[in-house]
Amino acid sequence: MPSEKESRPRRPGREPSPAQWDWDCPATRRRLEELYFREQDYIRAGSEDSRNFWAFFERLRRFQSRRSERECEPAVSRGPAEPPAASRLLDLPREYDARYRINLSVLSADVEGLARGRRLDPGPPREQLSEFRMALLHYLDFTQKQSFAKLAKLHRERAALPIAQYRDRLLRAVAQNQVVVVAGDTGCGKSTQVPQFLLAAGYSHVACTQPRRIACISLAKRVGFESLHQYGDQVGYQIRFESTRSPATKIVFLTEGLLLRQVQREPMLPGYHVLIADEVHERHLHSDFLLGVLRRLLPARPDLKLVLMSATINIRLFSGYFGGAPVLQVPGRIFPITVIYQPIPKEEASTSGKSERLDPRPYLRVLQAIDHKYPPEERGDLLVFLSGVAEIGAVLEAAQTYATHTQRWIVLPLHSTLSVTEQDKVFDVPPPGVRKCILSTNIAETSVTIDGVRFVLDSGKVKEMSYDPQGKLQRLQEFWISRASAEQRKGRAGRTGPGVCYRLYAESDYDAFSPYPVPEIQRVALDALVLQLKSMGLGDPRTFPFLEPPPLSSLETAVRYLRDQGALDEAEDLTPIGNLLAQLPVDVVVGKMLVLGALFGLTEPTLTVAAALSVQSPFLRPAHANPDCATARRPLESPHGDPLTLLNAFNEWVQVKSERSGCSRKWCRRRGLEEHRLYEAANLRRQFQELLRDHQLLEVASSQPSDSYSRQSRHRERRELHRLWRSHTETEGRKRKVLRLQDGAASSSSEEEEEGGARGRGKRSIDIQDVKFKLRHNVDELQAASSSVLSSSQLALLKLVLCRGLYPQLAVPDQLNSSRKDSDQIFHTRNKQGVVLHPTCVFATTPELLQAKEGSECGGTQDSKDGLSRHHQLLAFVSLLETNKPYLVNCVRVPALQALLLFSRSLDTSADCARLVADGWLELTIPDAEAALRLLSAALQLRATWEKLLNQKLEGRGREPGRQPSSQDVSVLTRGLLEFLQIEVLYSLRRLTGLEKQVLYIGPQTVAAAPRLPGLFQGTEMKPDEVKGGHRVTDYLTYNCLATDTDLYSDCLRSFWTCPHCDLHMPFTPLERMCHESTCRPPEAPLEEAAGSSSKTTALHRLYHCDVCQQEFMFTPTEILRHKKQHQ
Amino acid sequence: MESHKEAQPKGEFKCQLCGLTAPYTYYGQKPPNTRSIVLLEESYVMKDPFTPDKDRFLILGSQCSLCSRSVCVGTECSLFYSKRFCLPCANDNLKAFPLEIQEDMDKKKPQPKSFPSKKMDAKT
Ligand SMILES: [Zn+2]
Ligand SMILES: [Zn+2]
Repeated sequence: MPSEKESRPRRPGREPSPAQWDWDCPATRRRLEELYFREQDYIRAGSEDSRNFWAFFERLRRFQSRRSERECEPAVSRGPAEPPAASRLLDLPREYDARYRINLSVLSADVEGLARGRRLDPGPPREQLSEFRMALLHYLDFTQKQSFAKLAKLHRERAALPIAQYRDRLLRAVAQNQVVVVAGDTGCGKSTQVPQFLLAAGYSHVACTQPRRIACISLAKRVGFESLHQYGDQVGYQIRFESTRSPATKIVFLTEGLLLRQVQREPMLPGYHVLIADEVHERHLHSDFLLGVLRRLLPARPDLKLVLMSATINIRLFSGYFGGAPVLQVPGRIFPITVIYQPIPKEEASTSGKSERLDPRPYLRVLQAIDHKYPPEERGDLLVFLSGVAEIGAVLEAAQTYATHTQRWIVLPLHSTLSVTEQDKVFDVPPPGVRKCILSTNIAETSVTIDGVRFVLDSGKVKEMSYDPQGKLQRLQEFWISRASAEQRKGRAGRTGPGVCYRLYAESDYDAFSPYPVPEIQRVALDALVLQLKSMGLGDPRTFPFLEPPPLSSLETAVRYLRDQGALDEAEDLTPIGNLLAQLPVDVVVGKMLVLGALFGLTEPTLTVAAALSVQSPFLRPAHANPDCATARRPLESPHGDPLTLLNAFNEWVQVKSERSGCSRKWCRRRGLEEHRLYEAANLRRQFQELLRDHQLLEVASSQPSDSYSRQSRHRERRELHRLWRSHTETEGRKRKVLRLQDGAASSSSEEEEEGGARGRGKRSIDIQDVKFKLRHNVDELQAASSSVLSSSQLALLKLVLCRGLYPQLAVPDQLNSSRKDSDQIFHTRNKQGVVLHPTCVFATTPELLQAKEGSECGGTQDSKDGLSRHHQLLAFVSLLETNKPYLVNCVRVPALQALLLFSRSLDTSADCARLVADGWLELTIPDAEAALRLLSAALQLRATWEKLLNQKLEGRGREPGRQPSSQDVSVLTRGLLEFLQIEVLYSLRRLTGLEKQVLYIGPQTVAAAPRLPGLFQGTEMKPDEVKGGHRVTDYLTYNCLATDTDLYSDCLRSFWTCPHCDLHMPFTPLERMCHESTCRPPEAPLEEAAGSSSKTTALHRLYHCDVCQQEFMFTPTEILRHKKQHQ
Repeated sequence: MESHKEAQPKGEFKCQLCGLTAPYTYYGQKPPNTRSIVLLEESYVMKDPFTPDKDRFLILGSQCSLCSRSVCVGTECSLFYSKRFCLPCANDNLKAFPLEIQEDMDKKKPQPKSFPSKKMDAKT
């Protein structure tokens, strides 16, 4: 080997280098790099590696020159000693040289030749070349040792995990049983090791479910790392928007929800051989449901293995559920923890009880106690468990002040609504003498593990969504935690050494805690679960064998809700729309919007609104706190409501991103927007779009740039983006940063600014989120979609779509709102009185938008005693959230009369139809009875058409175009709806009192005042309503069932009326009239004209050709009559 | 986001002294994609899992030139001095090594716990 010859042993420093030789000269280094660090070489010029090499080289030279000074003499005397005879036996070199300790060599014949032959200048002298090459060898050896040390450490750590001792027992159990339960406490290593044991034992197609997305990513990374494959290869993860799965993937970490979706598509789960369900003790809704589904599946898949992993809580429940599955109990690795009970003194508890804000004093006392008792050199951080974000805020503020004062703490918040970068901070290390104080929700109880925690401070509280099935109301309430949670929290102090746990409650409180947390299935809305259960064909949810059945009332409420929403029919079978909704991983309400939007060609804005409503609001709370922010936000605010404000914000943001992408972060900050959530919305939007395409509700886009030039440039751009992405992921495995004292989160926004600035100054000023965004989305397409401004009629339609989606989630303004202060506006829903607007709501700051005041041109009926107006409005809301008050979240305002006529599930009328009751709680009174009848009749027709087209759309999916609703039909409906919305009529709107509701109906009548025109109404038979009285016209309309104190027989009173269509002139009861009108309606005739008609025309205007004056008019039926009278 | 093709593992390397296991992708003296570098012994090599650069390799171990047992390159298991020696073999032949090596070995002596006695019985 040529290298052998070149690297003949040589004592460094003996021969002086030529005087002109300077190792530090950049030109010298460049010359050597040209020779040794070429593109094809192991180390490349200009790379991180080459920089590391030169740093190493300098250290090596310093070290060698020091040693040669020290050892010069003795080395000479010892060096050429006679080699022992034994060394010849082993065939070792005669003379010692450190070089023989290195097991690799650098080939360089070509290099040397190149150096001498290429140029006139002689190249580096042989001696220097040789010295350089020795250094290179030492460097390579050093990097090998470094990496190997990491490998060995990894191996040691894995072997030291308690679960490592159970490897064989586990594999035996899995081989012999279909279901195995692994019960082990924190730190036993089950989540990372069990998947690897199974892989190493030859199992493949393994899925491991996690309750949280973040855990899927981190476990895939960890397991990929530990199993020494680059992650993305054999170890992958799959979460809502991201997947690193490939054909090579042997194990995938995924959320429970996602696996359930897969069961829905392929009930036998043919893609998997082993399922690991991790953290089943947490009892999430999806987890419980998944276990139920798997229990049913196992007999049909005898080859499928199931491993349940749980903390050592309630193990018998899981084992028993799976027919006494064997349990492998693994001890946790935990150090002793001292528990100190420090209940909050009575007097403090009572003062803080009243105010809404948490009293931080008990928390500060613990910080002080730690400072007094433990010297700062003894490291160890503090983890504080608080119930919610508001509580974190309160303690953060006080602790921050204390930290600034003492310079001994860095205070960091941790909760799921923080961005990932902000969350990551808790993993960084504090400088010496300073402790981290992490203020966390129960996220740190199980899902986030922070090393170095020695102290735990437990408030004993948790805030959880609780669900009131009666009111279908979600409540965020504070509860005492369970004993299991308390132990879990305590355990966090003993992961790396002995720890201390301070509990802000008494030991007697602890004893009174419930043993386990309440499973989620017992306390949340079950709509989605029931829908999924139905679509999996699992039968009646009431008899499904759940791990622990949910309250029957919750199931009943869910079934009723789904029926109300039109997802289930009367027999509780899935309707076409229900079937589709079951496949959309979104709230039923949002899913409905998507489908409805698709019908009207409003897909783009509906997608955006649906996505934005499905993520946490990007608007950070205190906009009023910062006037600049409030001003910057104002142009985004829509007077129509929050969903449209979200639409504006998203669209603007997309514009900013596509025009000046680097600025979007700043743009967001200025407006108090959390950009992270806009990214999430963009991801979700795309997912919805794909879902709609998958379900043939959206044509496959063909918006590829057509010419080859733009295709190429798009391709180039993507390549560049990929390069940026790669270079980011390569440096992503960054080391823990050392925190600075000022890193405490005084205000997260200014901090981010700092971070952005620092990055801007550095060499890589790219915004990786932006790169990800551009890689994931077709920005041009998105920009095009978000730049089109909605016309006023599109806006009106969109609101209608939102309202129909949200129905029956409606709230009516209190009648006295106009005399209340802005902040005191009160609303009522059907089930809940006295709700208020969420402070982020547009109408909270501009309530005048909701007041039914008449414009001056309408004749000054404002504040009339009878409450008559043309402009009553309702709020359709996305959710009702109860914290300290019940709040309406995400509201859109809609015209009350039209919305109720179009969407009510139950409409009850008086005999003349001038009095209507919608859904048994809102009363509409229209003094102009004739107008009322016209409106009702128009609404009936619109509803029928809308329903028909929607069903066509849903049923005709993927079929030949003939089965799809024709675009003409759709535009007829569209126009009809728009005209309907523009009808102006004076009416009053009132919420019925409880007493009124009780005596609302006349009830079944013995003397049937049956109308004499049965069957005339659109072919439906009118039957007397057995409960309400009166007659059922459609499944939602009951005619003349309202009790009235005036005239019970008014329905029998006929008056002369001329049909505007057929000119039939005869006495009609209101009902007969309605029936006649609906059958007599001329077919599509007047609609072409309607397109050109001015905006003043209403649904009731139609083309009228007068034979007498030989002219054509746009007339309402009344106008036609009036006109005809002229000629008589 | 992108998956590039990577060398498939050839098998699993296991150090017969410390039990360290790792999948190796290459065995020999000339790992792929490392033009100018050669190994001076037949070694078990894998892609260095600790750097994203897919051309970097990591030498896991090789066979003891005396007893042919597979040993890792960790200093508690083996020694390289122009050839690979497992530590038991090196200790058996301590006198054959230059003083520099012997000194190093002496320094390590106080912690012989990583070599259970039953593993010391291998003979040359
Ligand atoms: Zn070893
Ligand atoms: Zn040996």
